[in-house]
Amino acid sequence: MKISIGCDHIVTEMKNHLVEYLTEKGHEVIDNGTHDKERTHYPIYGKKTSEKVSSGEADLGIVVCGTGVGISVSANKVKRIRAALVSDIETARYAKKHLNANVLAMGGRITGIGVIEEAIDTFLETEYEETEESKKLIEKIDSIPMNEDLIGDEHYFDEFIEKWNNGGYPAK
Amino acid sequence: MKIAIGSDVNGLTLKNHLKSHLENMDYDVLNVTSNEEYDLFDAATNVSKAITDEEADRGIVIDAYGVGSSIVANKYEGIICANVADEHSAKMTVAHNNSSIITLGSEIIGEILAAKICEAFVKADYDGGRHQIRVDMVNKMC
Repeated sequence: MKISIGCDHIVTEMKNHLVEYLTEKGHEVIDNGTHDKERTHYPIYGKKTSEKVSSGEADLGIVVCGTGVGISVSANKVKRIRAALVSDIETARYAKKHLNANVLAMGGRITGIGVIEEAIDTFLETEYEETEESKKLIEKIDSIPMNEDLIGDEHYFDEFIEKWNNGGYPAK
Repeated sequence: MKIAIGSDVNGLTLKNHLKSHLENMDYDVLNVTSNEEYDLFDAATNVSKAITDEEADRGIVIDAYGVGSSIVANKYEGIICANVADEHSAKMTVAHNNSSIITLGSEIIGEILAAKICEAFVKADYDGGRHQIRVDMVNKMC
């Protein structure tokens, strides 16, 4: 499977471990960063990772940050993405089977590596089982108007990064 | 503080429990799914609408797993929503992400933990500061 993965600077080491874990299992992994521990911003990586799933370049996505919230919200703001924030294996199973979730999100400061690895395994192995109910739900989600301009736009956040670099945001 | 609460049929019992719990703590709770006919899409949509229309300051959505409602809520402009199963995430998602909604899975967490999670969520304040750049980025996305 082709897996798109991303994280923020809080959990870089965990993401690197997961890249290795998935590669060893025979998956092709697109590592969207971040690649070091320098302070950065989770929407950059939530967007990058999920865009590749939205466009079909990757089959599924995995995103990790401290609580998993910020990066999962950012992933969900991309059209066609259903990002499931989970802290247990059963919710990961349900999200794939009934919601056809295409991104799995977890918090590196919330959930331990044992559950994270098994939730990923379960998410990748579980097949979506379409029912009338799930089909209708996904259609309703897809009918919510979404901004598509951002997909593939690498400069989408430039205005904020420029403001940050110019001291426009507090450092604390 | 006014709290909008909604659930699908699976989350109804837990919703009623949490509504009473928050009301006993003197919070003003607005029930946005008054009967059993709602699915998780409607529950998440109604709570999101209560936030964007400024009828409530915070929102709570309950379905069997929580995760479906969080996907729906995050599709709406201006909504930052977290599916949580622990008190720390409930607090941190307000402090760092400026979340206005949490979702809970009635088949995943029990009544006691769910009540504690809601308490942590409604008592938390947004830290602002450096976190604002991330919130600005998310809000530009949709």
